[in-house]
Amino acid sequence: MLKINWFSPLPPAHSGIAYYASQILPVLAGRHEVVAWTDQDQVAPEFSEMVTVARYQPANPPWRALNDADVSIYHLGNHGGIHGGIWQVSRRHPGIVVLHDLCLHDFFAMVFLRTLERPDLYLATLERWYGEAGRHDGEAFRSGGIGAETMAQRFPLTREAVWGSLGVITHSRSALDDLREKPASPVAALDFPYTATPEARYRGWLAARGAASGPPYRLVVFGYLSRNRRLGALLEALAGLGERQQFRLDICGQLWDESHIRMEIDRLGLNALVNLRGFLPDGQVEQELSTAHLAVNLRYPSMGEASLSQMQFWDYGLPTLVTRTGWYASLPEDAIAFVRPEHEVADIQAHLRAFLADPAAFRAMGERGRQALKKHDLGNYVDAMVQFASSAVALSPRVPVLELAGKIGHDLRQWLHPAASDYLLERASQELFTMCVGKADDRDS
Amino acid sequence: MKVLILTSGVPFIRGGAEILAGGLCDAVCAAGHQAEILTLPFQSCPPSRIPEQMLACRLLDVTETCSMRIDRVIGLKFPAYLVPHPRKVIWLLHQHRTAYELWNHPAAGDLIHYPDGPVVRDAIRLADRTFIPEASSIYTLSRNVTERLQRCSGIASEPLYNPPAGASLFYKSTPQDYFFFPSRINPVKRQWLVIQALALCREPVCVRFAGEADNEAQQAECAKAVRELRLSERVEWLGMVTEERKRDCYANSLGVVFPPVDEDYGYVTLEAMLSSKPVITCVDSGGPLEFVVDGQTGLVAGATPQALAEAMDALWGDRRRAATMGETGLQRYRDLKITWENVVEKLLC
Repeated sequence: MLKINWFSPLPPAHSGIAYYASQILPVLAGRHEVVAWTDQDQVAPEFSEMVTVARYQPANPPWRALNDADVSIYHLGNHGGIHGGIWQVSRRHPGIVVLHDLCLHDFFAMVFLRTLERPDLYLATLERWYGEAGRHDGEAFRSGGIGAETMAQRFPLTREAVWGSLGVITHSRSALDDLREKPASPVAALDFPYTATPEARYRGWLAARGAASGPPYRLVVFGYLSRNRRLGALLEALAGLGERQQFRLDICGQLWDESHIRMEIDRLGLNALVNLRGFLPDGQVEQELSTAHLAVNLRYPSMGEASLSQMQFWDYGLPTLVTRTGWYASLPEDAIAFVRPEHEVADIQAHLRAFLADPAAFRAMGERGRQALKKHDLGNYVDAMVQFASSAVALSPRVPVLELAGKIGHDLRQWLHPAASDYLLERASQELFTMCVGKADDRDS
Repeated sequence: MKVLILTSGVPFIRGGAEILAGGLCDAVCAAGHQAEILTLPFQSCPPSRIPEQMLACRLLDVTETCSMRIDRVIGLKFPAYLVPHPRKVIWLLHQHRTAYELWNHPAAGDLIHYPDGPVVRDAIRLADRTFIPEASSIYTLSRNVTERLQRCSGIASEPLYNPPAGASLFYKSTPQDYFFFPSRINPVKRQWLVIQALALCREPVCVRFAGEADNEAQQAECAKAVRELRLSERVEWLGMVTEERKRDCYANSLGVVFPPVDEDYGYVTLEAMLSSKPVITCVDSGGPLEFVVDGQTGLVAGATPQALAEAMDALWGDRRRAATMGETGLQRYRDLKITWENVVEKLLC
């Protein structure tokens, strides 16, 4: 049994990661000794009954208490307000970093520029990882010359988020590989965890969907609807589809710019087909998803995040259109309908026509998605996370040694000509390597 | 033989380790060899400094001096014993204890208070496991250190006892009304425990403390406790004393009180035995327990103020018993045959 410090948003924070934590932590706490650390003002009382909750101040964490644990697990996402304190601790106290987003420029922009009001750190960080180009574009971003999405794609700052960590957990290795932001720490890719609803209830949803058989067929978009959710492309595709009268689109969730979307709906003449439902209370989610026929879950650009919404769509056996990018690109081909980012409108229309031609094929796709959830079992996820954390902690000497290696390189560069430093660097490298991992014969034994 | 004794030290701090290195150097020279002590400065705070010093040790080359081979290196303390040498033996005084059994000690733990404490701790542990076995022979200061090394790092070693400096000069005199406690003043030596015990004594027990504090705050803390407990009449702070004065203090004492936390060895115990004085120590004091036979050469008390107070009261109130224990202690020291000749023979063989 491990003693674990857990840092993540906790319920009732408006965050998918808080929901994730509410699912994971009871299972984890049943198998290990867990303290969930928080700097939130409030934690849901029912959650506190399940897991030990302790408070910390990001600027002055209780190191003595934290060091009583075997390992700390930090959850980072793109919300600077929610994850800023967690990052501040993780930066100083090495542990396992779970990346819920991979492109973290937005996060660092918020932390450095707004929370800490340290533009110098923001620019220095960009320069550290991307050289002069990073600093140059960072200055352009600050003056409004470059947009946030462009910065996120060019300068994801993933390595900054995990620098000095003992290990990194991602929910998509391929998405991380695509970013070319390979961390210096060991990486584990775990399937995003989700507990499927029991089969009997699922069968009830299928019956409800069967009773609501179209046409018109109900399309659903769901979740926090930021600009990268491609609502514009979806509306355009729907408007351009000759068979559009055979669909109805429900947009459920908080919109990044509701007035803009309403104008688009007006402009495209879709008022009769599109319904803005807003944020749905829990009770209405079930009604909405159990009677929908096709979900649209596009992301572009992706921040590399796994999608809780996708898990929910599969839980309801809903066929789904997703963008072939980031984490989504790693989903099983037969359980999803892919949309290419560069051909969004055409691909969406093609899928909608295919749906009309053979609704049963899409129902089968949704069924396969439901089956795919078995890979995402919560218990397996927790065990894999702990196993990885244990093995990463065993390699913890690498953290101070890597820090030392950087310091040596920096120091030697200032006073020793490269021609004279070769021998010293080689000797130091050998010793540092052994300090990291021991001697070869010991490792073998 | 050219023999280099490698140790680490904190500038301006002198304690048992420095005395031992000096004694060893003298003994090696007395055996007809050339010997020098190389003391590397060591700074443990902040923890990030520690790996730097470990690496510095690993990069040192002490295989020869002015084209003359150094025949034997004897490593004593962390991180100096990490220095590589083809004919190195280690006579381990102790590992970096706050990375091991003192990691979470409420008073002595230091690394545990830093965010990078755990990773530095693990780096120290790995380096010890990796580099200590490079030595051709591994001895330790005491059975206590041998057991710790086995328990913490899985490395076998053999205890090798040495006499305190100036062993032949200790003597016995008529006991006066005080217990003697010579040691550096710090939380691990537990002067504070003795002060608290004094407040609970039923007899008018007095204690003379000799030695300097590791820092002013620790000295001030002890002084404050004495004031608050109204013990000023029964406590005397001698500060740093000469070796001669120290021997006098031993000789004239009723007994010695020495209750450190898991002491590696503890010259204080041996010096008390050489002065024919009983030793009061605690069940968790480590090294002294290898020499103090409870009820015969001293008393082993629980590590609480009350238990320690009862032990001090017992000897204060029964001087004849105290004297008998002291004589038995001297005889036990002689029976153990603790000599430098034996140490040098083992380390240079």
